[in-house]
Amino acid sequence: MSQERNEFWELVKTGYRRVFIEEWSAMTGGVAVGILSVLSFTWARPWGVVGGLRVWGDWLFHAVGLYDKAPSSAWTDTNSLITLGLIWGALAASMLARQFALRMPPRLEIFKALVGGTLLGIGSALAGGCNVGGFYSSVSALSLSGFAMMAGLLAGAWVGLKYLYWEMEHLSPGPTLTLPSGGGLGATRPWLGWALLLGGLFLFWRYQVNGYAVEGGVVLCGMGFGFILSRSRLCFARAFREPFMTGEAKTTQVVIISLVISVLGFAILKWAGLRNEISYVAPNFGLGGLVGGFVFGIGMLMTGGCGSGTAWRAAEGQIKLILALVVFALTNSLSKAVINTSSELQSLVGFRIYLPDLLGYGWAVAAVLFVLGVWYLLAAWNERTERFVAQM
Amino acid sequence: MEDIHVDETLDCRGLSCPMPMLKLKKTLGKLESGKVLQMMGTDPGTKNDIEKNVSKEGFEFLGFREDDGFTNYYIKKG
Repeated sequence: MSQERNEFWELVKTGYRRVFIEEWSAMTGGVAVGILSVLSFTWARPWGVVGGLRVWGDWLFHAVGLYDKAPSSAWTDTNSLITLGLIWGALAASMLARQFALRMPPRLEIFKALVGGTLLGIGSALAGGCNVGGFYSSVSALSLSGFAMMAGLLAGAWVGLKYLYWEMEHLSPGPTLTLPSGGGLGATRPWLGWALLLGGLFLFWRYQVNGYAVEGGVVLCGMGFGFILSRSRLCFARAFREPFMTGEAKTTQVVIISLVISVLGFAILKWAGLRNEISYVAPNFGLGGLVGGFVFGIGMLMTGGCGSGTAWRAAEGQIKLILALVVFALTNSLSKAVINTSSELQSLVGFRIYLPDLLGYGWAVAAVLFVLGVWYLLAAWNERTERFVAQM
Repeated sequence: MEDIHVDETLDCRGLSCPMPMLKLKKTLGKLESGKVLQMMGTDPGTKNDIEKNVSKEGFEFLGFREDDGFTNYYIKKG
């Protein structure tokens, strides 16, 4: 009996290690993100990141008197809550895995965080969202603007990579400031991760008893995204960059498989009339999506993270990504405010194209899956031939 | 791990993805056959990146050792 009990506890320990300590495979992360993307839309809304950052930026500029109108409450706005949840979940995951530590970057990396964060902010304002809202959820929502941003992201990732090659030849990273604690804050405190996870559940309960169950659930969805991304280290910047850098196709293919799950889920929810058809169909098909994606793509390479990647890496204590996230929030808020002041700018950004309006649901889904399939095959072919790999 | 003879070192402490892998790729490209490179890094993603990528490029990942706030990785050119 005691032998059986020991074996049971061995299994529990192994399971704990696999879930909370060892790195998940990218495929596990991608499939989990795809499923959670559909669950989140079923519960309340599609996944997004920069919308929440903008709410926080809007509040800061309102507090200093730059914006007259008060933004929506950061405690009930679901854009804000899903991003808060992402950072919260990623912080919990990094604490549990003992990966959280404040990591100080060299001087050049701080400069790149400021410039890269600005490009992320401007790019996402033009494209109607970051790599998540403007690309992942947009493609899932059968919006053509998602593909405009995708084209821009690919071009921007290539240019950004060429910049990094140039930088390695011509610039020195400069000195790194050392943190007094050695940067190990929290590295030996996995119980803080458990406290954060339980705190998230407590927050959901508080929202629910106050009549805001939907908002509380959005926090939990965000926490789920943050936890999955941190544990699997799934990064969209890598999916766009790696085919040009090393030729590796795996992350690109994982993102594509994740998107297939999400596209099918969104199509079912919209086609069956369970969710608003126009949800996440942004009026950014045109210059906004293309140029925004391009600018955002360069920003991804400079910061080392996309919208979601910057957020979850900031939550593991990387000072460069924390700085980039703050600049990303502020510049997105300002860029969006500028676009909103001019109808000419708004019309330049593009227009709304919902694929089922053009093709009907069946052919729209088939067309999206066809494009994703071609992308998957091109990535696999490039991995063998290195046809698109940029030489150093 | 104790008796590894290191021929070259690469300091990537403080750098985040993708800079450690880019610098590693460049340094390994110049490394002579049979020589061992010690890379120092702080990015948590570097270990898996090295394990996955260096063998594909014809290098051997000899292992890693934790130090005071950073990790040492040892890679040999085949």
